[in-house]
Amino acid sequence: MRRRLRDAARRAKRNPLTVTGLSLVALFLLIAILAPWIAPYPRDTLAVHPDERFSPPSTKHWFGTDELGRDIFSRVIFGTRISLRIGTIVVALALAIGIPLGIIAGTFGGLLDEVLMRVTDIFLSFPPLLLAMAISATLGPSLENAMIAIAIAWWPWYARLIRSEALSIRERDYVEAARAAGARWGRLLFRHVLPNSLAPVIVQASMDFGSVIITSASLSFLGLGAQPPTPEWGLMINIGRNFFLTHWWIVTFPGLAILIAVLSFNITGDGLREILDPKAERR
Amino acid sequence: MKEGISALLFKIGLTSLFLVFAVFTLSIVVTGQELQVAVHLQGAEVVPYWDPSDGASGEIGLMNNLYEALLRYNAVTNTFTPILATSYEQSEDAKTWTFKLRKGVKFHTGNTMDARAVKASIDRTIERDRGSAYIWSPVDSIEVVDDYTVRFHLRQSAPLDLIAAAGYCAYIFDPEYSDHDWFNAGNDSGTGPYTVESSEGSEKVITKKFDDYWGGWEGKHFDRVVFLSVSEASTRRLMLETGKADFCEQLPPTDIDALKGNPAVRVEVNPSFQNLMVLYNNQRAPLDNKLVRRAMSYLIPYEDTVAVALGGHGHVSRGVIPYGLWGYSDRVETFTDSPTVAKALLAQAGYPDGGFKLLLTYPAGYEDIRMTVELWKAACAELNITLDTRAMPTAERNAIARSPDPEKRQDIYLLYWWPDYANPDSFLSGMFYTQERPAYNLGYYSNPVFDALIDYVVTLPTGSQEAIDMMVELQNILQQDAAGIAVWDMQYRRAISASLKGYVDNAAYPNVAFWYNCYRE
Amino acid sequence: MLSYIVRRLFISVFSLFGASVIAFTLTRIIPSDPAAMWMGPHATVEQIERAYIDLGLDKPIPVQYAFYMSKFLHGDWGISIVTKQPVLRDLATYLPASIELIVFGMLVGFAVGIPLGILSAAKSGRGVDHISRVFAIAGVALPSFWLAMLLQLVLGKALSLFPLIGRVDLLVEIMNPIRRITRLYMFDALITGNFAALKDALWHIVLPGVTLAMYPLGLATRMVRTTMLEVLREDYIRTARAFGAREVKVLAVYALRNALAPVLTVGALTFGYSLVSTFLIESLFAWPGLGRYAAKAIVSVDYPAIMGVTLLVAVFYVTLNLGVDLIQAVMDPRIRLS
Repeated sequence: MRRRLRDAARRAKRNPLTVTGLSLVALFLLIAILAPWIAPYPRDTLAVHPDERFSPPSTKHWFGTDELGRDIFSRVIFGTRISLRIGTIVVALALAIGIPLGIIAGTFGGLLDEVLMRVTDIFLSFPPLLLAMAISATLGPSLENAMIAIAIAWWPWYARLIRSEALSIRERDYVEAARAAGARWGRLLFRHVLPNSLAPVIVQASMDFGSVIITSASLSFLGLGAQPPTPEWGLMINIGRNFFLTHWWIVTFPGLAILIAVLSFNITGDGLREILDPKAERR
Repeated sequence: MKEGISALLFKIGLTSLFLVFAVFTLSIVVTGQELQVAVHLQGAEVVPYWDPSDGASGEIGLMNNLYEALLRYNAVTNTFTPILATSYEQSEDAKTWTFKLRKGVKFHTGNTMDARAVKASIDRTIERDRGSAYIWSPVDSIEVVDDYTVRFHLRQSAPLDLIAAAGYCAYIFDPEYSDHDWFNAGNDSGTGPYTVESSEGSEKVITKKFDDYWGGWEGKHFDRVVFLSVSEASTRRLMLETGKADFCEQLPPTDIDALKGNPAVRVEVNPSFQNLMVLYNNQRAPLDNKLVRRAMSYLIPYEDTVAVALGGHGHVSRGVIPYGLWGYSDRVETFTDSPTVAKALLAQAGYPDGGFKLLLTYPAGYEDIRMTVELWKAACAELNITLDTRAMPTAERNAIARSPDPEKRQDIYLLYWWPDYANPDSFLSGMFYTQERPAYNLGYYSNPVFDALIDYVVTLPTGSQEAIDMMVELQNILQQDAAGIAVWDMQYRRAISASLKGYVDNAAYPNVAFWYNCYRE
Repeated sequence: MLSYIVRRLFISVFSLFGASVIAFTLTRIIPSDPAAMWMGPHATVEQIERAYIDLGLDKPIPVQYAFYMSKFLHGDWGISIVTKQPVLRDLATYLPASIELIVFGMLVGFAVGIPLGILSAAKSGRGVDHISRVFAIAGVALPSFWLAMLLQLVLGKALSLFPLIGRVDLLVEIMNPIRRITRLYMFDALITGNFAALKDALWHIVLPGVTLAMYPLGLATRMVRTTMLEVLREDYIRTARAFGAREVKVLAVYALRNALAPVLTVGALTFGYSLVSTFLIESLFAWPGLGRYAAKAIVSVDYPAIMGVTLLVAVFYVTLNLGVDLIQAVMDPRIRLS
């Protein structure tokens, strides 16, 4: 295990894409943490300045102001916090549900596996956005509920993924050997199956960060996610689209933020895949 | 190696380009210069209701061109234009109304309109009892006096001419073609100048002129009118600017202001009877305390909301009856934007430092309401009051507001209000008359004195001095109690193609263009 | 093989049934007031109460579900509370528009993505590879509504190259109406020889289609690249090269055949996913498709419409997946059907 990590780290350093991706992610993290100090107008997450509304980008407001006079640059910065939070919570939640279910199903097989497969089949026959929308509408429109909704729509993918990994690992020689030596399933699961199954899931999860951010932005578009005046990027684009013909900056900058954030997560994920499993370029 | 792949890809690319080019050269577009086509844009669905007896919302634009009522009301001059009725008279007690009908009017189905058809149409609307059909509630019976005379017998006196001229549920249609499913299949059986040619879902309806229209087709008219629903305001504006649309019923203030300099577009800002209402939950703490309600009302930045949310196209409200409707008066007291007064009131009520949270729901998808809410929220935050604001679709909002469990209800409910016909008591009774199971009294206000006065005022002749005085008194009761307040009275912002002539705005028919009167020049 | 198909079909029916239960339960839990929606904005309490009973909402949920399913299986998918039309008719109206858009988008996406992936694999590690990889990732990362607005603004308004909204120009529709056969405008126009409408419809589908194409483009490039890289390392490729086969033939014939399999899977998934997720693009371009209908239905809690869309999409999903799996099995006997 430790050796694999060292190998991975070495390969990471040599892969330019991964380095770029990770640096960008680190940058976003930094921005999110330092938001209250970097943002020139930190109160603009709530405060309004009607006199300054619709100011184009200038030295005073780098990204301009929106329809209520709030500084967009500051709001985009605070939005970083929100987006990272969304990505982390949703992915973590989905993994927390999906990994245990999937690994148990994959390792033990039999009835458990059948049941899991059927349940995930049902979930997977829904377009994930539809499910997220419906759950979000049920729970009520708010950012927290949107996160729960997306996580519920997302976990089946992870469960399936790790299940198929677990299945193939179960057949491997060293597992057979361990079983022959009398190892119990529990030990097998934790020491052999789980660590070796995680790689594709990690890759998928890091790429899903971006998709989750876009999904939550889509939900905001429908009014099902964050509520105004929360400076969530998707919400800002949603509201900004009413003005983008005359005041293009309200939509452009949050959009760029989403693009770059998702890009960096995807590049990182791609790179991670190359590192963690250079032979398994299966997808 | 390199040449191999690139060459192949190049060849494929070239072939596809050639194919595309071939398609283009094969096409000939016939320009529609002989046909006059007008395009009517709106944000909402064009036909949420095909059945003329059921209407209550976005279909008003289309329906008022397919169907006609007995009269048409002009809100500016306060006069009636005879449409399907040529004249009418009322008894002294205003309980009997006799209408003489126009002869030679044909339905789109070919049948002739007569008194029997009028009675059957209105009877059906009353019986179906959907949407705005309640406007006919004063009617006891309808009598066919002869082929072209109809008499209405009312239970109580009411302005039947206004009712018969309503924008909804007052249409006359062919009773032989009045099956609900037939209507829903996209058919119409009206007398209006245009009839449906084709439709696609509820977003697009193409209408063509009805050759046998009683008004005749002399002069310049449109041959086709297309009603289109485009939800994106920016797209509507782009279509206007590029000449793809003629009439856009509502555009946001920023787009209107941007279009003002455009020679291809004419911008009109017209009066309306629509306002934004705030209903406080009168039955739950902390808003069950009048002082708190009044304090909250002093926190709304009224002028800012008109400037920001309406782009200046509107007025700060003075009482719940909107500017321009009789009953509006400057004798009605108002609240102003005064945080210091609010703070004092809150201290008096026992909340010197604020410290409470209120659940506010408002309709999703309306920028002006959203901006108003955000401005109010920021102002409340200054006094340490948290407004938990939720934009919700109507279905869910109303489920919460009408929930039988009072704990589940919201603290503040926002909505637009406009009358079904040009009568102010809709504002008062619709939202403030005691309702055991609330329909739109979603502040759950109950005041027997108020109720009694409303019962009395509806018996008074419309627009009389006594009625006006009563309206003022009723509005002042509401202001004193701060049961619910109106924030702003909006104006309708329209953008019209400069080549479109003949359009006259009429506040009694919100967002309706009578296309028969319009032409292109 | 046959037993596999039968088994999969059986499982599919079960999944659809499960999906219907979940969707139905969800729509009933969402706080809403379908009776009030049915009656309209200024309805009275009595009217709403009457509608409540008429719509069968006073019965317990399992009973309502039973009623719904029995009608459903007889072809009555209920009446939409928002449009007042039979849901089947609504679906028949909006589905073809979605299919046309998605198919166009996917074709464009694959037409660009697959060659790009091949190129990228052939030139692996070099400049071209890196650029196309970033491009592919960007395609997947782009918020589609943002791109849509940009395209509208630049290509639609500023340069006036393409129409802004809709499937076909109003004037063209009036002068050269397209006969409604399949309601796939371009197909119908083609087979009826209505070339004016065909060109117009083509022109209209470009902007929304290109917006939609970005996702399959990115996906296809990535997948083709990775699969091709894997395949190109295989022994039989080396053998073919050793025998002097031209590189183009090597790539196109041997490698591509194996690379197509994952692309098919992706295509099927993307199609099913796009049926609903395109609602943003459909809203911006006023494209009367299923996504917009579904989004409106969910937001208005129009439960018959929600059920209709969910089940329709689920059927698509399941059928496409089954089809793709079968095709893969046929194309590559090494794949075990399990």
